[in-house]
Formats: sequence, C-alpha cells, structure tokens
Amino acid sequence: MIIENIYAAFAEIGNVTTIILMLVGVAGGLIAGAIPGFTIAMAIVLTLPFTFGMPPTQGLAIMVSVLVGGLSGGLMAGILTGIPGTPSSVATTFDGFPMARAGKPGLALGIGVWSSFCGGIISAILLVTLSPQLARIGLEFNPWDFFMLVMFALTVTASLAGRNLIKGLIAGVVGLLIRTVGEDEAVGMARFDFGSDALLQGFDFIAVLIGLFAFSQLLRDVHDPVSAQKSLTERGAVNVRIEHMAAIREIAKRWAIVLRSSLIGVFTGILPGAGGSIANILAYDQAKKASKYPEKFGTGTPDGIIAPESSNNAVEGGALITLMALGIPGDVTAAVMLGALLIHDIIPSPTFIAEEPVLAYSIFIAFFVATFMMVGLQSFMLRVFVLVTKIRIYVLASVILGFCGIGVFAINNVEFDLWTLLWFGILGFVMRHFGFPLAPMILGVVLGNIAELNLSRALAITTDLTPFFTRPWALFFLIIALFSAIFPLFQEMRATRKWTLFYMPFAYFAVSVPLFMMGGVVRPILAGIVIAVGAFSLWRRHRDGWKLAPLSDHELAERG
Amino acid sequence: MGRLNRDAVIAIILLMACGILFWSTFSIRAPDYGQLKPSTWPRVILGLLTLLSVLYLGQSLRQGPAQKDEYDTYDAGKASASGLKGWLAHWRNPIWCYVLFFFYLITLPYLGSLIGGLAFVFTLMGVLGGWSPRRLAVHATVAIATVGGMWAIFTFGLGVILPPGEIFTVF
Repeated sequence: MIIENIYAAFAEIGNVTTIILMLVGVAGGLIAGAIPGFTIAMAIVLTLPFTFGMPPTQGLAIMVSVLVGGLSGGLMAGILTGIPGTPSSVATTFDGFPMARAGKPGLALGIGVWSSFCGGIISAILLVTLSPQLARIGLEFNPWDFFMLVMFALTVTASLAGRNLIKGLIAGVVGLLIRTVGEDEAVGMARFDFGSDALLQGFDFIAVLIGLFAFSQLLRDVHDPVSAQKSLTERGAVNVRIEHMAAIREIAKRWAIVLRSSLIGVFTGILPGAGGSIANILAYDQAKKASKYPEKFGTGTPDGIIAPESSNNAVEGGALITLMALGIPGDVTAAVMLGALLIHDIIPSPTFIAEEPVLAYSIFIAFFVATFMMVGLQSFMLRVFVLVTKIRIYVLASVILGFCGIGVFAINNVEFDLWTLLWFGILGFVMRHFGFPLAPMILGVVLGNIAELNLSRALAITTDLTPFFTRPWALFFLIIALFSAIFPLFQEMRATRKWTLFYMPFAYFAVSVPLFMMGGVVRPILAGIVIAVGAFSLWRRHRDGWKLAPLSDHELAERG
Repeated sequence: MGRLNRDAVIAIILLMACGILFWSTFSIRAPDYGQLKPSTWPRVILGLLTLLSVLYLGQSLRQGPAQKDEYDTYDAGKASASGLKGWLAHWRNPIWCYVLFFFYLITLPYLGSLIGGLAFVFTLMGVLGGWSPRRLAVHATVAIATVGGMWAIFTFGLGVILPPGEIFTVF
C-alpha cells in the first residue's frame, strides 16, 4: 500500500512544471535561509500567494522545497560570514566559521551541505514510515485528548521562553484570543467585532503571521541605522568552491554523529514547540560530550559542523510528522506550513493520510526530492548568495516589505488584510521589544480554533468535565504539560534546590499512570520501563547522597 | 522608564484590556442550541489572561532594578538627545517604516498597488539609506524592478487583480 502511494505521489509531482517550480523553490529557500534576519517561515509565507492558483500538490511541493532550501541556506552565511542565516544554524558557526577562516571554506561548506543532505534524507525516511503510525495513534484521540494536546503544545512552547514563562504563556493566550475575533466557527455568532464588518470576518491567519513574524522581524533588522546600511560582505570571505568529495569522505568517517544528530533533530521536531534552533545546539552539545576530543570543538572540527547541520535539516521532517499525523504544528515554520495546507483546503488530521494518501505522500516525496535538489543547487546558489551579500540590509528589507504588501493582499483580495498586517506588525515589534516570545502567540493563533472546536465537541458529547483528566491521552498531555511548565524552574534551580532531585523521577512515575491506563500489551510494558527508569534515577540520587549535580561548562557559560 | 515600571505598566494595560474585552463578551449573542456558548471560550481565555497578567504584575513589582535589553543598549553610547526627541531618534527607522506603510495603505485606493508600492519602496529606501543622487538612481531601479516585477507576476502570471487605483487602471 505504501509503495503504491509512493508511486502515485511520484507521478503526481514528477512533471516538468512541478520539478522546475520546486527547483526555484529550493533556490529561493537557500537564499532566504542564507540571509541573516530573513527566516524560513518568512520565505514560506511570502511564497504562499504564488501558489494559490496551482493545484494543491504542486503548490505544496513548492512550499516544501522552500522549507528544505531554507533549512540548508543558513549554513552558507554561518560558515562564510560567521553570522548564522537562521537560528537553526547558530551552532554551525561555532566550527564552520573557524574552519573557513583557517583556509578551508570549501571543505566546511561541503561538510555542511552533505550533513544537511543526510539529515534531510534520514528524516524523510522517518517521515514516510512514522507518520502513518502516529496517525493511527491519533485515531484514538477524542475531542478531550485533542483539546489537551493543544494545551500541551502551547505550554511547551511557552516554557521554551525559559525565565520568561509567564510572558510566554501570556503570548500564547493572546494568540488564542486573537483567533476568537469574528464569527465563531461552532455556531457562527459575532464576537469582538465592535460593529465592524471587517472584524466580523476575523483576522486572516496568514496576514497575522506575516505581520507578527516577518514585518516585525524586518523592522528589527533595520532598527539600527548603522547596521541597516551594511551588507554581509563586510565580514568574512565568500568566494569559494564547495569540496564535495573531501566532505563526503569526512562525513563517512563520522556516520555515527550523522545518525545520532539526525535522530535528535527528528525527535526534537516531533515535540511541539522545539524547533531547529534547539535541535542544532542539542546535537552540537551531544557530539561534544560524546567526542574523544571535546577540546577541539570551537576550533573548526568537522564534528562541530556535522552535528548541527544533520539535526537542523532533520527537524522539519519531525515537525511534519506531527503536523501531517495529528494536525498540530510543532513550531512556527510548521505553523506556516499548516496555513499553507489550509489555504489549499487540506486539513491535516489523523484521518488525513488514510483519506488522502496520494496528497500526503506527495508532500513526503516532495520533501525527499527537494533534499536532493538542495545538494545539486548549493554550488550554484553559493554564487547567487555572494551577489545577495553585496546588497545592503535596508534595500532587502524595503523590497520585502513591499512584497509583503502585495502578497498579503493577494491572499483574499481584501484590503483589510493589509491593515491586519500593519497592526500585527506593530504588535509583533512591540512584543519582541518587551521580551514576549512570538512563537507561543503564533501557535495560539493557529491552534485557537482547533482548541475551541474540540472543546465544543467534547461538551456536546457530555457536559461532564472529568474526561479532561481521566481519559488516558488527555491525562498524558496534561501531565507532560505540567512538567514542561515547571521545567524552566527546574533548570534554573538544578544546582541549588533539593526538590529538583525528585523532578525527573516523579515525571517518569506520573507519565507511567496514563500509559498503564491505555491498556493493551505494549503500553503497560512501556509504563513499566518508564517506572523502572524513574526508580533507577531515584536510587542513583540516593546512592550519591542526594547531592546536587554541578552545572556543565555549557550551562555555566549560558548563565554568564 | 525602568523595566520594573515598564513591565508593571504592561501588566496593568493587559488587565485593563481584559476588563474591556470581558465586558464586551456580554454583548455576544447566545443561540438556543449548542452546549458551548459563543462567549464561553473567550471568557475562559480572558480569565486565564487576567490570572497571568496578575502574576506578571506581581512578578514585575517583585523584580529588582531594571535590566537593559538589546534595543536599549545597541546605541547607548551614541544617544545624546533625551526625552521625546531622543526617543524618536532611537526609533527613527521603525517609525518611518510604519508611517510610510500607513500612507501606502491610505493612498492605496487612489494610487493602486503598482504606483503605491513603487512609491512606498522607493521612499522607504531613501529614508533608510539616504538621498544622494547615486542612491536615488539605484533605489529607483530597484523599486521598479522588484515591485514592478512582482506586480507583473501577480497581474499577468497568476491572474490576481491587485488594487488598480484611480490614477492607473489596467483593466
């Protein structure tokens, strides 16, 4: 069945027009990802208006191509200029830039490109194989479970704000509130329209996303008049050739790092809220800890490029797994992808893969094909990147603001959307300035109606609220939401407070309860394993005399 | 204004907004059908937001001295003027972007997407990058090539009818 679907998907996207458009998409993504300050999410939302008139498969293949290109583009800027093109390539600069400065920019780029390729392919394979399985689990979800899953996604994303947990939660809740403006989806009554016909239609979700994310980011880029006048070429060397063969040899010697980092990327992507910006640091940290020569990290070692680049490309495969199987976006980029799917009248849900197998597999195959295209295009796009780096930031920002103006109007042909763009651009800028993270807010906007619809469905079945706490999956999501909300506090106090010694064991014990409740054979066994792990970690702490663990070098450096 | 006061002010503004929006939920009509009234979900959200805002207010009042953030520090050495003048100088570029975009939207029905877009991008580049004759020429070329190109793709390639305006009408 899977093979048949894969064949059908290949036939669907294997026509010349789609392939050419995908090449353009990958090329555009590579450049967008390479320019610091211009994020992948921005590139996808700006591509969106171009895809309206296309068949869904073609339009989505282009969006996926931009996504894959964007994930890999960040390494060009990171390695050649020392400025990461995207947050997901921050760790690449730790060793990529020193290697380039040491006279091996071609090798550094080659390692980055081929690591990205490996990460992308591994995650594409997992995407094809895991998504249907996860969707099967998703079929067990009832409205109570979906509601709690949304709450969990928002809490986890907010908890990534670390010390600013309250600000993160406020941002998420404001996102939910924004989504309530206009007619409610359950019964069609007007809410918060204040007599305005425009507000009655609600805020267009894409206009809100572009405003909050792209518009505010562009203004942040040009905020400093001196930096706005600069171009990227004022830093680092950019005239190089990629050394493919030497890079492949280096990567083949370090296949374990590739595999481990890719898996870290995929599983970080599956978790709601945790995106490439976390995965690349996590993979780098793990590679350093596992290395026989950790002192070489930061000086230009290939391991330090392989780990972050494999993981950041694998992340979106993971995020797409959750998005395609459950309809829940894992991060801002996946949220934008969800917007793209919705615009093409595709509503991801646990039944989506079963009901629309060709379309679902077309997305998977597009991810796969785009990863190959990315490798082929890197050498050529490097030359384009050199040209783009000569453009001053303010010129790029002005032009993209102009594009935003045209693109947002084209979504619905409604002028009010442009006003939405402006107001949310201001809101996003102000929120960033005051330290409110935007990711929870964007997820709140995306997930708001999913939460309300499921709450409505749950109450239509029974007005009893106890299933929110007694159904196994709902309880599972509630428990991990609670523990993830406390996680920033745990991290902060890990070296100073005794209660933190019990945090992880208790998390294991708590999670095992809903797993036991799920019944069957596998899950209770899994619950038993989880309890054993919790008991072991408790025993280890007891053996060590309940001594608090000292902070690692990395954590100490982070705390300044 | 220090961060302590600023955070407290934001929390108070949030609380006021919650109050106003909560009050407006009473004007949401409730149909005779459905278990979840249209006003219930917004009220749940507003209740949560009120609770979080109170916590935020408490946290901001408990916090110590203000911490400077990235925007406050980037040109701390260069800022000489204080008060409104200094604030305007500090936020010059973002303010210009918003003001020009605002004018772009206001004039859109008259100028249309093409002329308005060209004017917006050209003026913004001038404001951000300078008005020397060489730059003017570069900015004009970039604006025509990019906005004109984008407009042409949408109008002729994708068949999207962008606002034509009153001055220049294609269709």
